[in-house]
Amino acid sequence: MRVAVVAGVRGDTPEGVRVAHLVGHALEAVHESLSGTVDIYPCVNPLAAHRGSRHWPFFDQDLNRRFPGRGQGHAPDRVAWELVRDLTGADLVIEVRGAHPAFSETAQAHVRFGDDEAAQRALKTNVNIVWNRKPGPAAPSTLVYQFPGAIVLEGGRGNRLTEGVGVALRDGILNLLNHLKVVPDKGLPFHWAAVTRPEIVTDAQVFRVRSDEGGLFLPDLTPWDPVEPGTRIGQIIDPIDGRIRQELVAKVAGRLVAVREQPVVFPGNMVARLVEVSGG
Amino acid sequence: MAEVFGLEAPYRGAYRLERLSFGSGSPSVAVVSGLHGNELNGIHSLNVVAGTLKMARLRGTVHLLPVVNSFGLEYGTKRWPFGDRDINQAFPGDPEGSPVQRIAHALLAATDADVCVDIHSASPVLRELPQVRVPLSGREVELARAMGLPTVWRRAGDLLEATGLVGAWRQQGRAALHVVGGRGATLDLGPARTMASGVLRLLHHLGILSAQPPPGRCVADTTRDRVSYHYSGLGGFWVPEVGIGDRVAPGHLLGSVTEVIGGGRLEEVRADRAGVVITMRAYPVIHARELLARVSDAEP
Repeated sequence: MRVAVVAGVRGDTPEGVRVAHLVGHALEAVHESLSGTVDIYPCVNPLAAHRGSRHWPFFDQDLNRRFPGRGQGHAPDRVAWELVRDLTGADLVIEVRGAHPAFSETAQAHVRFGDDEAAQRALKTNVNIVWNRKPGPAAPSTLVYQFPGAIVLEGGRGNRLTEGVGVALRDGILNLLNHLKVVPDKGLPFHWAAVTRPEIVTDAQVFRVRSDEGGLFLPDLTPWDPVEPGTRIGQIIDPIDGRIRQELVAKVAGRLVAVREQPVVFPGNMVARLVEVSGG
Repeated sequence: MAEVFGLEAPYRGAYRLERLSFGSGSPSVAVVSGLHGNELNGIHSLNVVAGTLKMARLRGTVHLLPVVNSFGLEYGTKRWPFGDRDINQAFPGDPEGSPVQRIAHALLAATDADVCVDIHSASPVLRELPQVRVPLSGREVELARAMGLPTVWRRAGDLLEATGLVGAWRQQGRAALHVVGGRGATLDLGPARTMASGVLRLLHHLGILSAQPPPGRCVADTTRDRVSYHYSGLGGFWVPEVGIGDRVAPGHLLGSVTEVIGGGRLEEVRADRAGVVITMRAYPVIHARELLARVSDAEP
């Protein structure tokens, strides 16, 4: 069994980079007891990470829109090409990200809609939800799309390191490796019973909350807070005179999985994402 | 000028999608530029076109939308500056989606015409000979040739991405032309005027504009297999020897990659075919494997 853990495809996800290193340190302690191979790519795009920017500098390109890459292309395309080549043959690819730069997000796993094996594996990753999501139009140009069965792990705050999130995702990866018999029980720095048991959700259970007004978004809630219909999620404030331009409320019962932290919003900007879960 | 779509901005002011409309009835043409805020040549092209149309009697309708990404224009950015999204990847759009999805949806609705043209500049690091890109065959090829631009580039599978404006138009069954000319992040007057003339010739060809513009001259009516791509082997400082529109013979020196400090010549890039230069690297700092030039077979 060969598992690959990849982080830092974009430069604004330091949480993923941290998780990759935490996993590496944990595996070093038990490397003689491993059954299989774990390849860690802690920071695929160091030039972007150096600036904390999403895009590869100079070329101004999102590396996660360049896959599968071109062997004779420019630097971003060649890196994409070589990474795919190096990952080919892995039994499982796990990409670890942080949160979107403008958001705070609960720990979550994303798998391709219909990939039941990936969803079952993702249940072991110590996240709050496993989102079984349909690929969007940009999906074919992403890293994980090149590898059926891949799992994406996200969480934390955009372009930040968040206490607790990195360790939680590390534990999730180690737990999954234990489930796959790569890491022995003694290699787990936590008790198996402490691992979160998430639900699998589909696109039909995920709701984006968008502002109708422009202004400054002031949230009332944090990720994984429960909501009922009518629970106030936040307000849009007029930046000039401070009046409340809109109150945003939940329309379903469930949990908040993402909330906007970058406050400046235009009409239509997403301010929160809710998931309808039975534990809600 | 009419506002066809608006989006309130947080700190007052608003985003406005403006459209200039001329004439009435059929046939109809919509011409768009400024989807990317740092591509300026098309804006000037459409201002030139508008100047002609104001004084013309038209048999048909022409809609001009010179600046789609006005906030990108103000910030000097390619993409929508709030969230860094490319409007040209948001089609067909969504009236209740994100800001760029709303703009995309409104733009598609505002360009409901028989023939649609999207004008771009090249990226800020390249300069393109004004060209129109179309599928290998069909009505769009006829329309492209009627524009009389220096290059007609017929490309296989050229729906372009359905998330782009031209792809979205084609998905709706409209004749759509993708025009590119000059360099990004600057006003290249020559290419901008050439593209303006191309639009006017298209309108004349469709019977909308009765006055005949001066003829254009196509120097390369081409396909992918008739175009050579020249890439750098090394990074360095690119010193060109030719410009767009120049005719070259096999072996002709297109330019050199030199050391950034000292200027020592690292690599010579030479044409491998006789033809015309249709693309040229404009920004001298280069990395390995970057596009330096494209040379196409040329019409006699």
